Amino acid sequence: MPVVPIGNLQEQKQLMGKIGYSTLPGRRDESVAADGSILPHWEPLFESVGRHGSGVLVDWRNVANRISRERGLAYRPASLDESDPAEGWSLDPIPWLYSAKNWEVLDEGISQRTRLYEALLTDAYGEQRMLQDKIVPAEILLGHPGFVRALHDLTPGDTVVGLGISAFDVARDASGQPFVVNDRFDHPFGLGLALENRTVVNKVLPRLFRRCGVRRVGQFFTDWFDYLTRRAQSGAENPLIAIVDASGEDEDSEIGFLANYCGILRVHPSDLTVRGGKVWIKALRKLVPVDVIWKTMPGAEMDSLESEMRGKPGIPGLFEAMRIGGVTLASHPGSAVMQSPGLYPFLPKLCREFLGEELKIPPVASWWCGDPAALSHVLANLSSMVIKSVNSHANFQTRYGRRASVEELDELKRTIQANPTRFVGQEEIQISTIPTSRRDKLVPHGSVLRMFSFYDNEKGPSVMPGGLARVSTDDGIVVSTREEGDSKDVWVCSTEAPEPFSIASVVDTSLPAAPYIVPSRTGENLYWTGRYAERAQFIARFSSRIIDGRVRGYSHDEAFEKQHEDLLMEAFYSVFEYDPSGMISPEGDPLDDLLRDPACSIGIPYNLQRFHNASQVTRESWSPASIMAIESCHTGWRRASALPQSHFGFSAELDTLQLNLAAFLGLNLDSMTRDEGWALLDIGRRIERGTLVGGLLTFLLKSEHEGDMSMLLNESVLYILDSVRTYQRRFHKTPNTPMTTLLLLSEPDYPRSLHHLLDRLIDIGGKLPNPKKQEHPLSLLDPMSRKLEGFVGPFIAEVEAGLFQKEEALNIVTEMADTFIDLSDYLTVTYFNHANR
Amino acid sequence: MEEYRYRVRHLTAYTYSGRIDLCHSVAHLAPREDSGQEVLSHRIDVTPVPHFKAEREDYWDNGTSYFEIQGSHDRLEVLSTLTVIKQVGDVPVPRSGIAWDDEKQQLKPGEHDESGLYFANFLFPTKACPFAEGLDAFLEPSLVPGKDSMELVSELMTRVYKEFAYVPGATDTTTPLEVLLKNKKGVCQDFAHVMIAGLRKIGIPARYVSGYLETLPPPGQEKLQGSDATHAWIEAYSKATGWIGFDPTNDRIPAHQHIKIAHGRDYFDVQPLKGLFVGSGGQVLSVEVDVERC
Repeated sequence: MPVVPIGNLQEQKQLMGKIGYSTLPGRRDESVAADGSILPHWEPLFESVGRHGSGVLVDWRNVANRISRERGLAYRPASLDESDPAEGWSLDPIPWLYSAKNWEVLDEGISQRTRLYEALLTDAYGEQRMLQDKIVPAEILLGHPGFVRALHDLTPGDTVVGLGISAFDVARDASGQPFVVNDRFDHPFGLGLALENRTVVNKVLPRLFRRCGVRRVGQFFTDWFDYLTRRAQSGAENPLIAIVDASGEDEDSEIGFLANYCGILRVHPSDLTVRGGKVWIKALRKLVPVDVIWKTMPGAEMDSLESEMRGKPGIPGLFEAMRIGGVTLASHPGSAVMQSPGLYPFLPKLCREFLGEELKIPPVASWWCGDPAALSHVLANLSSMVIKSVNSHANFQTRYGRRASVEELDELKRTIQANPTRFVGQEEIQISTIPTSRRDKLVPHGSVLRMFSFYDNEKGPSVMPGGLARVSTDDGIVVSTREEGDSKDVWVCSTEAPEPFSIASVVDTSLPAAPYIVPSRTGENLYWTGRYAERAQFIARFSSRIIDGRVRGYSHDEAFEKQHEDLLMEAFYSVFEYDPSGMISPEGDPLDDLLRDPACSIGIPYNLQRFHNASQVTRESWSPASIMAIESCHTGWRRASALPQSHFGFSAELDTLQLNLAAFLGLNLDSMTRDEGWALLDIGRRIERGTLVGGLLTFLLKSEHEGDMSMLLNESVLYILDSVRTYQRRFHKTPNTPMTTLLLLSEPDYPRSLHHLLDRLIDIGGKLPNPKKQEHPLSLLDPMSRKLEGFVGPFIAEVEAGLFQKEEALNIVTEMADTFIDLSDYLTVTYFNHANR
Repeated sequence: MEEYRYRVRHLTAYTYSGRIDLCHSVAHLAPREDSGQEVLSHRIDVTPVPHFKAEREDYWDNGTSYFEIQGSHDRLEVLSTLTVIKQVGDVPVPRSGIAWDDEKQQLKPGEHDESGLYFANFLFPTKACPFAEGLDAFLEPSLVPGKDSMELVSELMTRVYKEFAYVPGATDTTTPLEVLLKNKKGVCQDFAHVMIAGLRKIGIPARYVSGYLETLPPPGQEKLQGSDATHAWIEAYSKATGWIGFDPTNDRIPAHQHIKIAHGRDYFDVQPLKGLFVGSGGQVLSVEVDVERC
């Protein structure tokens, strides 16, 4: 859609005045020309803000935050510094707009840089012409911890992929000249975040997105997978490509977004094993060969057998498998050496030597202190320098001379002089600013653009049209990767109609559907997702029952109420075999622990956290709606439990939580394919339910109370198991133990009865792999099932005749509960545990 | 020239307290051909029989074996047997004719040795050979300006021999160099690491050597099988002499009794046997080495 210019300069300035955006003196702004006119590709944005009034900025941000949260993007640990994931980022929905013309300059520059670094990587692990011809000091290459000697015979070429997906941080100075300030090759951060930002911002500003004719990023991924498919050593037409994510189960990981977007299998290093020089996924009861591994962890650590680091999760034998061509890595595990700032001073010459070209986007002017002349220049200008270690991993944080005190500069000087070869000094540049939303204002903030590319050995470099923008926290000149700040989507505007490209078609066009594989660890986490969801649901209903009793009361007798509550607590502890003396304040109110204490293993926060962790590992299994439900459970409760509210105040929160959990469980029923993954989720849920029902029934059958107390206890048990209505419809009687037992033990068609649960487990278990070639994968349930069949008929007849055999019922309930525990152990040994294969 | 023929039998055995189901290993056990020794034969026998094996040369051109064992086992044996011929001749004289403080100006990281390996490989600290606290104090008394570079190395060898006590079990492969410099006791690997760190600190390229040493029984006693052990020493470089070996454990220049297996930056580059296994329980390691003339 052609952009309609906003009047003349006078009108443009009026608009800017209305919005209240003014650029910083002496700094280049990306949206406003020197004469104060709005650059054409920014006009739609300013026009839109002007039309809605700048209060809309607050709305946009709120909507963005809500969508991010619902999509599970808390942004918290998503730091851009690979070595320091503690800090967080948030999303500013105002995009960084790039004109087609300006983008072309970057595209060409980054394409060239991608070719150059591909050539340098090949040289570093091959001929080492850069050392022979003394273009680069040997210590920069050989002294870098990312130079992996074990890979010396794995030169990018026919059998080994080169850089893979690379990231370049680009900034522009006051003159408008772009510079590269960082190169990231080994496992660049931010691609998943960029995709997620794109998705969220597209939802916040859909009309603006269309008006600007934003270029889509899907083709970049289509090309990437096309490349990987061609590079698969196996020669398979439809190779299995897995993305390896080493982040822990309790960490949020942007790799999940990436895997979701691309529709590929995400695995943990521990899901992979090397056998016979090939790499395999440890799937449920079988090994599945992997053709291509897209790694997102430090390459030097990937093979724990050959790694120089010890004690990290890795894949022993991986490098050997690479050597003999048993697997393709989507990026060379020794590429970290290429991101040494030590290469910058020599880059123009390297470009001439290796490509026969002049460098299109220069690095920031840099001096290697190992050279005496360079050293004196750096020391003489220390207060305007950025000092970086040539070893990215070295224990030295980048220092900014401009920010340092005199004493700090002195100390820095001594540090450099003691070991000059270890340091590079860079000129600090005044990076350009872009409009950033701060509450209801647009303000200029310094920004750096992270671009992504890869090198295809047949088709050449490919640059993603878009990227991840990062904004400095203040109006500072420096965007440090260690700081918190906003991230932004990057829009490359075209005047042409946008290419039709949907997110879904990434998968359709680039990859024939990958074979469906459930790694054992995923299977185990699906199982536990089901269990924790059910458990949290149970604790929530239990807590509601206690709160209800305190608020409304179930009688007019306080002592009676107290006794009832104590009995319920006792029942609750017995269900979980929990020792309450371990609570924070054993003499205090246990409800506080259940509702708020994240360390209490029978409490809601603890179990929701476990639920969330397990669901994160299996993120790719969930539909967007399920993810919303998961995130609502998690963040909703975190918010609720942080409020200083009374227990009464928790009632509504408990209802919401139950609703969200029910939504999650129902959605899965509704939208998941009935495969072995779903089977494990459902089995987990039912085993948990069986254990809880069995536990409560056991308590009830053991209890000696009679009369009112018995009635109230029965009612409470029915309430906690969400069975009051069913009971009433079925029996038209006040709650009593025989009837409750009838319903919860033997009723064949009631989803909460042990009888029904056992039948369903056998039914769903049929979906599981059957490694032992038994009649049924869960044949171990057969004896219990037969026994129950024989028990139920006579039992129902007896109860209905008023002949309730309490002991008999207790025995069979206990036996059932034990069966569920045996089943859980059996699943772990049979499907989840790979050590014995 | 007289020559001796040596046969070496090196048995490494792991006994596990639990069952092991999968094991990946890398071995540096093949003798180098380029160190004044002729290799007549070498073989590695692994029990249980590996499912998969591969041979290659590593970055330093050491012969390297990779093997995988699948299937339940509670004992792993790796037997390396080799026969080499050693020339018995003049022992190299540790004298370069170049002052150490001149030499370090010439041996720049970007220069390389006859095999093409850059000195940058051998001039910087590594995990096992850091420029630890106490290193300067150890070096200081020997750093007389103008001293012959290889005589300086030789002196440092003698000082390590005299000032450090040989105490098996006092250290393990994780003991930091700093602790070593303080306690002044250890075994051959430790002495090699101390020397390497010290030489690199003063700009002399140094590398770690693993191998075997023929130890003669006390007079009148029969030599016990398995009484010998794997050994470690170092090599230092001078423009005038090339690489020369120094054995700080015995205060002598390695000659025909030193059988060289591999070299690298430190122990971890040439660890004789490194394995990772899947399974539970602990392990007991036993190593037997026999070096015999034949």
